[in-house]
Amino acid sequence: MTRDDIPWLSAAETATAIKTKQVSPVEVMQAYLARIERLDEQLHAYITVLRDEALAAARQAEQTVLRGGNLGPLFGVPVAVKDQFWTKGILTTNGSRVYRDFVPQADATVITRLHQAGTILLGKLNLSELAMGGTEDPPWGIPRNPWDLERTPGESSSGSGVALAAHLCAASVGEDTGGSGRGPASYCSAVGLRPTFTRVSRYGMTPMCWYLDTAAPMTKTVQDCALILGAIAGHDPRDPFTSRRPVPDYTARFGRDLRGVRVGLIRELYEDAGMHPEVKQAIHNALDVLRQQGAEVREVSIPLVALAGAIFVGVADTEGAGARDDILRTCAAELDRASRTRLQAAALVPAKVYNRALKARVLLRQQFLEVLHQVDVLVSATAPAPPPKHTALTAPFTNADDVRSRFFFRRAYTGCYALTALPAISLPGGFTTDNLPIGLQLGAGPFAEELLLGVAYAYEQATPWHTRRAPGAEG
Amino acid sequence: MALSKAERCRELAQLVGIPLIEAEVAEVAERFESLIRELERLTQLDLAQIQPVLVFPEEEMPS
Repeated sequence: MTRDDIPWLSAAETATAIKTKQVSPVEVMQAYLARIERLDEQLHAYITVLRDEALAAARQAEQTVLRGGNLGPLFGVPVAVKDQFWTKGILTTNGSRVYRDFVPQADATVITRLHQAGTILLGKLNLSELAMGGTEDPPWGIPRNPWDLERTPGESSSGSGVALAAHLCAASVGEDTGGSGRGPASYCSAVGLRPTFTRVSRYGMTPMCWYLDTAAPMTKTVQDCALILGAIAGHDPRDPFTSRRPVPDYTARFGRDLRGVRVGLIRELYEDAGMHPEVKQAIHNALDVLRQQGAEVREVSIPLVALAGAIFVGVADTEGAGARDDILRTCAAELDRASRTRLQAAALVPAKVYNRALKARVLLRQQFLEVLHQVDVLVSATAPAPPPKHTALTAPFTNADDVRSRFFFRRAYTGCYALTALPAISLPGGFTTDNLPIGLQLGAGPFAEELLLGVAYAYEQATPWHTRRAPGAEG
Repeated sequence: MALSKAERCRELAQLVGIPLIEAEVAEVAERFESLIRELERLTQLDLAQIQPVLVFPEEEMPS
């Protein structure tokens, strides 16, 4: 194996190569650092590259390998995280000029657990300001989608999506408030998981919305996703909402076919008139693959999904404004204009309206759970269209229908799982004729990540999408 | 006399203690109106018997 081959490995393959001494942790780190140096000036995936720290950690890991011993399934793997996770002594910007000098005094629990799993922190990744999405002038550069540099990699874990598509890290942890992990995974042909809310500690993850944010494993493969989730999940006394349930082996269902698995296609999303025809065809094809694997597929209806985008914005933006009250009162001028005006508008929403959105959220969850008594896994596209051009994101709205479609309803696809606190995964589901990625989204009941990952793995292994390389990754 | 969108926005912002940049008041007002208009759609739902919660209690799904 040459140094140039290393970054194309998955995280699991990298750890195996280290364990079997085909490569050393230092060689792995040098290979990634060389790619970052070569490609990231254009892609803007990273805010901070921890070159010296990562190389020092890799040298230590090399000594551990030489001493022998029981190395875990992620040992020596270079991981980069969204710059929303606190890292002790290391700049943590949250993608905002407001935090340009913020150096936390403690690690987020996710960072601690990644370290305990033997991974090496390679750097901190770019994101939309305050993990909101819609930043017009990102202080650390516009992240470019390696599948088409003129297109967005998705928001808000944009750097994670770019770094995975360009193979500038072996694995990543982003954050998902309403699709911030799954969206970039979809647009960059990567895997992104939103776990059940309370499955992973939020300690040290700067909040966007107190009751929607989750850490989100973002990876090149479903297996890597299962390994990263296994490493970071579990109770944490520093986040009182974390579940005390034991953390299972999330790879336990790998290699099994889908006989006995009931799959439901969400009608309200599949019949979205605004859906791109090639996305619709990709979902149709994905259902065929699931059937071939033995799954029983049917259509299900969740009527309130039609309003999920509105409910999501009503909850998320209002909570987001609450979480950022200090900034809005004292230093709003330092925010990006789009972030500032969006948060300011949300800060004005009356409590009665917010409460109504919270109630609708409960009703939406009831509808999801009713359907999840009939099927085990839900299917939809992750996004109704392939990644748009950067310029399309900031184009002015033309009328109320345009606002509804572009700002509210598109959030229903991923926001519905955030609102219902259910796990969902986006994985590569195909490509358009223009070679743009299409994401397939699977959702399941509370704490059903093991099933979700098992179904995702079966689909991934039956399709070629995860093996395709982005043009911008070839450098 | 009814307040204009911008005047209503200024008044609410003052009430909640959020200073606005004068040149951006129209944009904030437009965003606010759009948000409220969209959320008005939720009034069609029967939510009378539902208690809002922030974090859902853990529950099992039948296997």
